[in-house]
Amino acid sequence: MDTELLKGTLSLLILSLLSRQSMYGYEIASTVHRDTDGTFTWREGSLYPNLHKLEADGLIAGAWEEKETGRKRRYYRITKEGRAALKSKLQSWSELCAAVNRILEKSHGQA
Amino acid sequence: MDKLERYLDQVCRGIGGPMAMRRHVRQELREHLLDAVAQHQAAGLPGDDALQKALDEFGKPDEVRTELEATHGQRMNWFIDKAMQWKEMTMKAKWLWTSWAHGMLGAIIGLEALFITFNVIFIIPKFQKLMVDGIIDPAIMDDEGVRWFVNYLHTLSYVAGRHTIWLVVVPAVLWGVFEWRVQSDNKPFMRLSALGTVAVALMAVIILMSMALVISFTLGAPALGRIARPWAVEQVLALDASVTSLEQALKEKDWEAMPAKVEQALGAATRLSAGPAPTSLTAENNNAKIEEMRGRIRATRHRLDAVQQAIQQLDASKLETALREFRDVFGPIREAAKRPAP
Repeated sequence: MDTELLKGTLSLLILSLLSRQSMYGYEIASTVHRDTDGTFTWREGSLYPNLHKLEADGLIAGAWEEKETGRKRRYYRITKEGRAALKSKLQSWSELCAAVNRILEKSHGQA
Repeated sequence: MDKLERYLDQVCRGIGGPMAMRRHVRQELREHLLDAVAQHQAAGLPGDDALQKALDEFGKPDEVRTELEATHGQRMNWFIDKAMQWKEMTMKAKWLWTSWAHGMLGAIIGLEALFITFNVIFIIPKFQKLMVDGIIDPAIMDDEGVRWFVNYLHTLSYVAGRHTIWLVVVPAVLWGVFEWRVQSDNKPFMRLSALGTVAVALMAVIILMSMALVISFTLGAPALGRIARPWAVEQVLALDASVTSLEQALKEKDWEAMPAKVEQALGAATRLSAGPAPTSLTAENNNAKIEEMRGRIRATRHRLDAVQQAIQQLDASKLETALREFRDVFGPIREAAKRPAP
């Protein structure tokens, strides 16, 4: 899949996933990979700048948690502002999808 | 995992912001990559391949760094950036550090072995000879600690002298077996550990050897003063005899015989001023008294210079004065030589 298309939707995906439950970075990447059956092949390193940007904007909050194995993981949870932003982004995404689909359907119909 | 750390260095080196935040970012990326490596290994990939795949999936370092810098800002400290680059460069040169460590440890062991050999061949036999001759006081062996040190020197000399072949062959064989049989990724570190242990062991041998030589010699050294006294007395008598014959020659106006006699006196005075001779002529082991004796002997030497000058000028009057002054200075030295040894 075109990674440029994915870039624009990454924040939406992250907020959406975190609205389910708190997750750490690798868990987010794995979930995206699993839930899309590997359709999204992206550069995993891109996840963190997006996570950090969302955190800086106050849409998500991160906290370190130490596991029994001694490994430390930074779990992110969505904030109240994040949920509001997610709602707004979902609305925008629906409108965008509908608009794109209309154009594609018309184009397809003309073809 | 050096490869992982190098990767993280490349990704994180330009990120701006407080150090704690940068450390957290690095930690977070590391945890992600470790998770990915574990996942790939669980899927059946060997360690290096799993790591490489995890890094490939994470993205090229420059691209990830650019994205992180866009979020966190860019660090502008030139020195830190250069330092990180240097760290990356040197971490890659693992062979350089291990070779350097091997070389240095080898050099240390070589120097230690050389030092021990030198002592065993040249110094310890001299020490043993001094003990046999009684120049080092044999009474020091009454002390259990000193006896241990001296016996240690004897043992060291014996082992090094009688078992030289084994001392060379056994380590060489062990080393050969190690290189031949040991197959491990940690082999360079095992070798370094072994070399380090040998270096420390040889250092312990050297320290004990040096302590044994110094302590035994220092405790045995007071005997040197007693040995020096007869020699010092001999020089005083020779000096006295030379000057007496010089005085006789003056009475007889035998100017031709005088230069040889003053030369003899000067020789005796010079020998008297050397080493432990002044100390052996001093009744008390008192630094001020010893210095006074040294000064007196130096003054004697100067008076003899004046005597020699008068002889060269064939000036009888001046020579008489110089000889009288010599006797004034020399008198206490002669008296000291007559006193019984302290």
